[in-house]
Amino acid sequence: MTAIHLHNVQFRWAAQMQNTLYIPELSVQRGDKVFIQGHSGSGKTTLLNLIAGIHCPQQGKVQVLDTDLTVLSAMQRDRFRAQHLGIIFQQFNLLPYLSLLENVQLPCQFSSQRKAKAGNIMQTSLHLLDELQIARSMLHKPVNTLSVGQQQRVAVARALIGQPEIIIADEPTSALDTENRQRFLDLLFSEIEQRASTLIFVSHDPSLATHFSTHIQLAELNAITLSV
Amino acid sequence: MILIKLAAKSAWNRKVSLSLAMVSIAISILLLLGVDTIRKQAKNSFINTISQTDLIVGARSGSVNLLLYSVFRIGNATNNMSYQSYQDIAAMPQVKWTIPISLGDSHRGFRVMGTNQDYFRYHHYGQQQPLLFQQGQAFDDVYDAVIGYEVARQLNYQLGQEIIIAHGLVSTAFSLHDDKPFKVVGIMAKTGTPVDRTIHISLRGIEAIHVDWQTGTRSAIAVSADQARTMDLQPQTITAFMLGLERRIDTFRLQRQINQYRAEPLLAILPGSTLAELWQTVGQFEKILMIISSLVLVSGLIGLLTTLLTTVNERRREMAILRTVGAHTYHIGLLFTLEALLVVAGGCGLGLILFYVTQILMQPWLATSYGLYLTISFLDVQQWLILLIAMILGVILSLLPAWLAYHYSLQDGLMVKI
Repeated sequence: MTAIHLHNVQFRWAAQMQNTLYIPELSVQRGDKVFIQGHSGSGKTTLLNLIAGIHCPQQGKVQVLDTDLTVLSAMQRDRFRAQHLGIIFQQFNLLPYLSLLENVQLPCQFSSQRKAKAGNIMQTSLHLLDELQIARSMLHKPVNTLSVGQQQRVAVARALIGQPEIIIADEPTSALDTENRQRFLDLLFSEIEQRASTLIFVSHDPSLATHFSTHIQLAELNAITLSV
Repeated sequence: MILIKLAAKSAWNRKVSLSLAMVSIAISILLLLGVDTIRKQAKNSFINTISQTDLIVGARSGSVNLLLYSVFRIGNATNNMSYQSYQDIAAMPQVKWTIPISLGDSHRGFRVMGTNQDYFRYHHYGQQQPLLFQQGQAFDDVYDAVIGYEVARQLNYQLGQEIIIAHGLVSTAFSLHDDKPFKVVGIMAKTGTPVDRTIHISLRGIEAIHVDWQTGTRSAIAVSADQARTMDLQPQTITAFMLGLERRIDTFRLQRQINQYRAEPLLAILPGSTLAELWQTVGQFEKILMIISSLVLVSGLIGLLTTLLTTVNERRREMAILRTVGAHTYHIGLLFTLEALLVVAGGCGLGLILFYVTQILMQPWLATSYGLYLTISFLDVQQWLILLIAMILGVILSLLPAWLAYHYSLQDGLMVKI
């Protein structure tokens, strides 16, 4: 079963004449853990924006979980993203004016189906935070007193709540030190396994690739770079 | 709804800078509501202070001046007029009734007014309401006094209370007429006019306390209270007098006669038209105050706008987070508008509180210094409109940062390039 399928996708910024991204073919199966390697500026964030439905390609088809995002309106894509995707950034994942728990529960506020899948939201969020080794005593601390490692793990909890089918992680470990990095990856994989989610993990660091079943070089994927 | 909750929490997170904007809006609301209230109430209060009086006569000075000191007890007469002239005019056939008054003394901050029993018969206020007694009756003996409602309430006076009258408006040890104490024989019902803050004694009483005073100081030869009682206490001068006519038609003719009175320079005014004259000047002033207050509101709102604008850039990461969990781009803009609305609404609320507190604090001072009796009541339609307009303006101004935020979030997507 296909989780993500890109076909003949071409994307350029509004002001530009030339394409930034040209992907003839990309296919990801459900349950796959895909490592996409690319340095910054290679178009990896653009790719993630397309998969997440933030932007639409000028040409081609972006199919996520049997839905063609290119035929949806912007608001429909927003709702799709709320329901089926969990996204983790490199840093600054959390809203400073919400509590830890409120941050984790944020996706449920924007999608009723996701909220339904989460069941008892309080229990689910506490459970997730436990699994991600966030101590109960940290729960009422303001978000910006947490260490980067803790913040990233809370971000994982937020991405996972309500069991979205696809998790996208954009350089989630780049701000962590080696010890925290390993811990983060272990926990992330353990959660993904439990839920059989699909993982798209983007990074510039090739040493991380060993954990993943599929390894894609963005430079090879993006036909723009090939033609140069 | 989640957006309102997010807007509220986000605003609370930046409460220091936003609360300054809120306070400045609150102050402008206080100004706008305050100016509007005083404007309306002053006019009403002044109009209601006196009714059914055709002419007021005093020594020649300005007409507004005469109105102010004779009716509102604001300011002082430049000159007194002779009792003789008063009697002559009162004797004219067109004149139905007169009330002579004599001002210049005080008691513990309240004005003392000398008059006669006609005052209690003929003085009307508001909607042709006569003066009523709460307790006791009008003065009879030389040293009897009738006090107004506020005097009794503030000084806690009962019937039989002994009071010492001071010469002039400031009481020092040297200016007290302490050898001639007065007794309270009547307390008047509340009128909501300067009558409440006045102590009324007879003209003979005024003469008695000044019988051994010359040009403002006590003379060497003392005259005791009882001695004074036996003397001829016919007044030589009074400050002014009010009169009512048999027929209204005679008003202008009599006014002209009095203004051309040969024996001494006098001025007769129609209270209504002099009040209108006063209001013309005040009216200009009112308009300017309202304009200034509106400008203060605008500057408060611009302060809020500045605060919001400077944070748009900082908050792009927050906006990206919200986009990833499924917020629409217009939600992002809406958040800013909601925050602005919360701050303006908070400013209006705080402004309302300040408004009522200020009214309560200023009520006594306004009554004493300006004869303005402030009624504290709910906002009228126009004032609710002021609050509504403030909020609408806030929303309109917030559209700029809201649009900017929307624009950035469209561009940025998942990755904020700062």
